[in-house]
Amino acid sequence: MGPGVRLRVVQGELQPDANMAPDASPPTGVPDRVSPHRIRIVDAALDCIARQGTAKTTVDDAAQGAGVSRATVYRVFPGGKDDLLGAVAETEMARLFSALGARMGAAEELSDVLVIGIVEAVTRITRHPALNYMIAHEPDVVLGRLVFDESNRLLATASRFISPFLIRWMDPEEAARVAEWATRIVLSYCIAPTGEMDLTDPARARHLVRTFVLPGIRALRVPDRSQPVDLVPIAADRAKHTGRVHQVDYLQTYSTNTTHSEGDVQ
Amino acid sequence: MEDTRQRIIEATYACVARWGVAKTTVEDAAREAEVSRATVYRYFPGGRDELIHDVVVWELFAFFGRLYDEVQGAESLEAVMERGIRFAHRSIQEHEVLQRVMQTEPETLLPTITVESNRIRAAIAGFLVPYLHQHGLAPGVDPDEAGDFLARMVLSYMGSPGRWDLDDPAQVSELVRGELLAGVVVGPEPGKRPD
Repeated sequence: MGPGVRLRVVQGELQPDANMAPDASPPTGVPDRVSPHRIRIVDAALDCIARQGTAKTTVDDAAQGAGVSRATVYRVFPGGKDDLLGAVAETEMARLFSALGARMGAAEELSDVLVIGIVEAVTRITRHPALNYMIAHEPDVVLGRLVFDESNRLLATASRFISPFLIRWMDPEEAARVAEWATRIVLSYCIAPTGEMDLTDPARARHLVRTFVLPGIRALRVPDRSQPVDLVPIAADRAKHTGRVHQVDYLQTYSTNTTHSEGDVQ
Repeated sequence: MEDTRQRIIEATYACVARWGVAKTTVEDAAREAEVSRATVYRYFPGGRDELIHDVVVWELFAFFGRLYDEVQGAESLEAVMERGIRFAHRSIQEHEVLQRVMQTEPETLLPTITVESNRIRAAIAGFLVPYLHQHGLAPGVDPDEAGDFLARMVLSYMGSPGRWDLDDPAQVSELVRGELLAGVVVGPEPGKRPD
């Protein structure tokens, strides 16, 4: 995981957990929703989906794959197959964001955060076995998530996760905007890849970030564009001392301070 | 002959508007167009699936035709993009049939939209590239690559505005100036109209 950001599942939606101290240990007294069998059942269902898609995958398949009884699956997922499929999607999203966080949190430059994030996301999405099976054999299930309202929800969820990794270089409002923009780029090139712009290739991703994304960040930061802007960390001094920035602290600082001064943005 | 085909398409669209995609049958379309079932199959040998596909394509092309008309008189690249995005957003919001289908049976449209999306993207890029040349590209920017990138982004915002209020001209202007054109073209000043 990246510094200071943990994931929490709240009512089926993934959100960065701003209340959790960056280095706190995992919470105790977790709800019984978290059964020791849960992740095994989810992974078994994921394997089934990669082989035969969501339509043919049954609760029995998942139970068998996980080596548990049907009754156990229903105890963990009272809604049965729909519940289970929802949990699979949620788990895979959390894994994607967790991998993204680990990579992006280690980057030192804004351009690196964007390049690493884009490459990691596109690589994981385009090489995801279950997702690939679904795109090939039941595209409606995937595409339904990528249009109109569903897609707005996806953009919002993704940008909530990505933006904490950007606030070292920009204020939270701008970070949310850039995070959403990066998500659009990832989705577009995942849905319709082109040979010339293979974003699993770091060199191509860097070219795209340098050519199209960084200038857009600069342009919106200085409304009159009368002066050049260096994309330096907001909290460069602090980062120098600690080597890392506790991003959650910044989220909390900014959320209590709706009007930040011009001086915050270099 | 093309008139009959067109009449069947329009009749099918009327049925879809009334009952939705899933409930529209070849018989409905034939009755609405006042032709026989056999005539419908003569023009659409693939039957219902082909008919629905062609209706969606027809409406998509009609939409992009209106979009094209809307941006024709625009005097700069910025204006083309701003007008285009606002018009597309408004048209999608106000398209009652599309809105209803997307809410109740989106799966019926997705195959066609997916198949056509590459063609649509190429068409938008092809439309924008001359404006890019006219406006002047930033150093090292490949016009085709830029056109493809802009088309992808335009389609993304059209389909899902996300955090942007695309009814607000100021926000659309900011979007175009920042996320769309900042890296693509030279200079902060609006470009001139392509001759």
